[in-house]
Amino acid sequence: MSDNPLKSAMQWLARNPIWSFILLIFIFFSIANPYFFAIQNFKNILVQTSTIGLIALGMTLVMINGNIDLSVGAVVALAASLCVDIQDWHIFAGWGDWAILPAVLAALAAGTLLGALNGLIVWKTGVDSFIVTLGAMLGVRGLVFVYTKEQSFFASNFAFSDFGSSNIGPLPTLAVLFILCTIVVHFLLSHTVHGRNIYAVGGNRAAAVNAGIRVGPHMLVNFMIVGFFAALAGITLSSQMGAATPNLGTNYELWVITSVVLGGTKLNGGAGDIIGTFGGVLAIGILRNGMNLMQVPAFYVLVILGAILIAVLFLDKQLNRKGKEELRL
Amino acid sequence: MAETHTTASLAPAATERPRGGQGENAMAETRLKQIGGLLARQGIFVAFALFMIGFAIFSDRFLSVENIMSVLRAAAIIGVMALGVTVVVIGGNLDLSVGSMLSFSTVMVVDLHDKIGPGAAIGVTLVATLGLGAVNGLLVGVAKLNSLIVTLGMLSAIQGLTLIYSGGKNVDIANQDTTWFKIFGRGYIADIPTPIVIFALAAVVLHVVMAYTPFGRRVYATGGNQTAAVFSGIRRNRVVFATYLISATCVAISAIILGSRVMGSQNNVGQGYELQALAAVILGGTSLLGGAGTIWKTVIGVLILGFIQNGLLLLGFEYYVQWLVTWAVIILAVWLDIAAKRGRLWSPIA
Amino acid sequence: MDKKMKALIAGSTAVMCLALAGGVSAKTIKIGITQNNVGVDSYQTTYEKAFIAAAKADPNVSTVVLDAGGDVARQIAQIQDLIQQHVDAIIVWPTNGKAVVPAVKKAHDAGIPVVITNSNIAKQGMPYIAAFSGPNNIKQGEEAADLMCKALNGKGQIVQISGKPGYTTAIQREKGFEVQLAKKCPGVKIMATQPGDWNREKSQRVMEDFLVKYPKIDGVYAADDNMGVGALNAALAAHRAKDIKFVGATNFAVGYEAMAKGEYYGSVYQSPVEDAKNALKTAVEVVEGKKVPKMNYFPTPPIDQQNMKNFSKPVF
Repeated sequence: MSDNPLKSAMQWLARNPIWSFILLIFIFFSIANPYFFAIQNFKNILVQTSTIGLIALGMTLVMINGNIDLSVGAVVALAASLCVDIQDWHIFAGWGDWAILPAVLAALAAGTLLGALNGLIVWKTGVDSFIVTLGAMLGVRGLVFVYTKEQSFFASNFAFSDFGSSNIGPLPTLAVLFILCTIVVHFLLSHTVHGRNIYAVGGNRAAAVNAGIRVGPHMLVNFMIVGFFAALAGITLSSQMGAATPNLGTNYELWVITSVVLGGTKLNGGAGDIIGTFGGVLAIGILRNGMNLMQVPAFYVLVILGAILIAVLFLDKQLNRKGKEELRL
Repeated sequence: MAETHTTASLAPAATERPRGGQGENAMAETRLKQIGGLLARQGIFVAFALFMIGFAIFSDRFLSVENIMSVLRAAAIIGVMALGVTVVVIGGNLDLSVGSMLSFSTVMVVDLHDKIGPGAAIGVTLVATLGLGAVNGLLVGVAKLNSLIVTLGMLSAIQGLTLIYSGGKNVDIANQDTTWFKIFGRGYIADIPTPIVIFALAAVVLHVVMAYTPFGRRVYATGGNQTAAVFSGIRRNRVVFATYLISATCVAISAIILGSRVMGSQNNVGQGYELQALAAVILGGTSLLGGAGTIWKTVIGVLILGFIQNGLLLLGFEYYVQWLVTWAVIILAVWLDIAAKRGRLWSPIA
Repeated sequence: MDKKMKALIAGSTAVMCLALAGGVSAKTIKIGITQNNVGVDSYQTTYEKAFIAAAKADPNVSTVVLDAGGDVARQIAQIQDLIQQHVDAIIVWPTNGKAVVPAVKKAHDAGIPVVITNSNIAKQGMPYIAAFSGPNNIKQGEEAADLMCKALNGKGQIVQISGKPGYTTAIQREKGFEVQLAKKCPGVKIMATQPGDWNREKSQRVMEDFLVKYPKIDGVYAADDNMGVGALNAALAAHRAKDIKFVGATNFAVGYEAMAKGEYYGSVYQSPVEDAKNALKTAVEVVEGKKVPKMNYFPTPPIDQQNMKNFSKPVF
């Protein structure tokens, strides 16, 4: 068994084309650009991907469930605005750095509540999650503008943005947070009853119902999780900037979904895992960072990203051809 | 739900006959059931009627001919696109690339207008757009890749292509008053703005194709149950390929209307249109799972979106309030539609 | 390869020049720029082209040209990437004046001077920048208000079509216009304001709705001519353009042409080429250690049907 670790490594890569792809672009950028292969740059990549990455963790659960959440970008903006604004409220003036705590809690609560609202509507009305969250994408953005009155907020307490650029040991705090969350969600998905139910509900809903899973509340919880992570991403993003703007998070839903699907989660539900999602997020982060460093003109970046997305999908298809015939959406 | 019942209970008054007997009563009852059933199946239509009445109460200008024409004229652009997307969705796939495809085609037709003349510009744009549609069709239909990711990738790639084509500059048509190109977006046919006529024609043609031709039946079969479709001898590849060509054609038509209406274009003009078009399709009750849906209900979906935007603006709401209300209306409309279909308000999900 | 060759040639030329001049430092200046959203409109595209051209013309300068695509987070990532590359100066066209402050502070802390271009950073960020170079957006809004006041002889009802909500330029042009109009021209009332998202078609749709809603509109203020011409399109279609004065806050080629036809009243002249050259010049001077004023506004004069012959047609 242990006689051929190389072979089994190759097989693993073949089954997980996203990681072969990451290896490929990593080597490419390391050779092609002198600034790419540097510890500081790897830290940058991890911090830069953490925003999309955090949301992608929650989105993976929702998508394995066979649902989708398009409102995450707007939730990012709402959480960021709440978090940055509330820590400057007068009632917390005497709290010092502790004023950040109620701000963060409020932002997380808002995200989780909006997730619950989405989930509740999907559960109770039976309207497709695509349309429910498409509406919310617009509506939550409306809430952001109601709350902010088109203003951007600036954290006058630099402790907040210092947190965003701080380190734990050799690693940036935000990168550590992202990795920790990845591990927790991975555990949730692969080692808990809730995790098993996620696959069961996404794979065959009728069978899941027969097995005694209460599908509605189950989906509701997953929407709350993605809402929570979108809010968390909003908080970490705003701590990187020390500020929040009402247009934050525009188009994030598309990048998150792209990362999750790149990582092997099937849109019709029932399949996918967190390791893959982590790979998908990393792939897009490395691509963006590498192309930035290589000064690829912005117009071409769009074409290259699009082409690569399709190419990876094609690769996946070729490598897994012997597997089940891929289902349509 | 309640509204559906009220409307239905009014119906017998109209159908009552002078001499009543038992047979007559039974007939009236059947008739009543038919009408009730019809309304139940057309929940989206009831939703549309409801909020049209709502807006009309609050704004005296809402139902003026001027306003209706103006809304329809603007909605035709999204409308024609949404028709094409409907066909793709019925065939069991998605097309999210239509937004940037619209940007691409509009920039191209406007840019070429002054260089090679309107006729040739339209021809070249149509061919180029069909080329993009064919790429979608090949990747999804023949290579059998996931349509959401393929068209998301194309969304990004085509946006890049558009910017490379134009060098990122706005394009404009110089002689706006003299070119016959203006007929598509600014002209009238028998006092009706041309975009509305084009939208109506496209809807009728696609409705006939989908409802009455063997091709239409194949699209439904392909979307509904692919395995069965393959066994019954339908070549799925070709059908899916064709749906993307139809979608691209619709985008090209929208681009011509848009280019002619604005007489210029930005590179991001179609940004976000893909989700609006898809929203119209879903509002019309077409299932994202494929195999079900109708063209004319997409038209209702388009009208709902167009008139909400217009109505809320006429009422003088701030833009963010408009977004909030749109959120509620979209969900309520779809909810009413599916609640009517299943005959109960709350979903059966445990 | 090609790029390396060019750099090599540029580098050696620079060395030669300096050698001839008995140069003090033989190093090329490397300047990084992160722009707001190239391709969203012609102004930004023309700016980028002019910037690259100006940099090419100066053999002592090499550049790293990036675009944030309108996304604050991406812009911050790009600033980090530029710090990583140890450029000599960073030019930032803020996607948002407040949100980029900490990133700019980071560059400042790393010893890299930052020049802000086009739209300014929030006042909290002012200590961390070397200079600002660009137009004064509030002033542009005020100029537009003066034009509108003149066009309507101080009396009338107007509608406003603003830029994309939440963006600094949009907010400042709206604010400058509203404050100045209320102060200088109390007889002109703004009946409604709706965003046109810097998009001509969107603006056209908004104007169509305004035309239905208001039987009498005397003037339209749009935050740029691209949207202004969209509004003009709508009014022409409704045969009401003759009764309405159109004023914009950045002159585009289409606005210039409409002005020549007498359909468009006036706008504010702002050249992206000037903007780009000014930014590069400021950054180079900062790196060379010259004293530069903190605020480098370049002039943005009002343009209307009377004085338009003094201006060349905008290239965007």
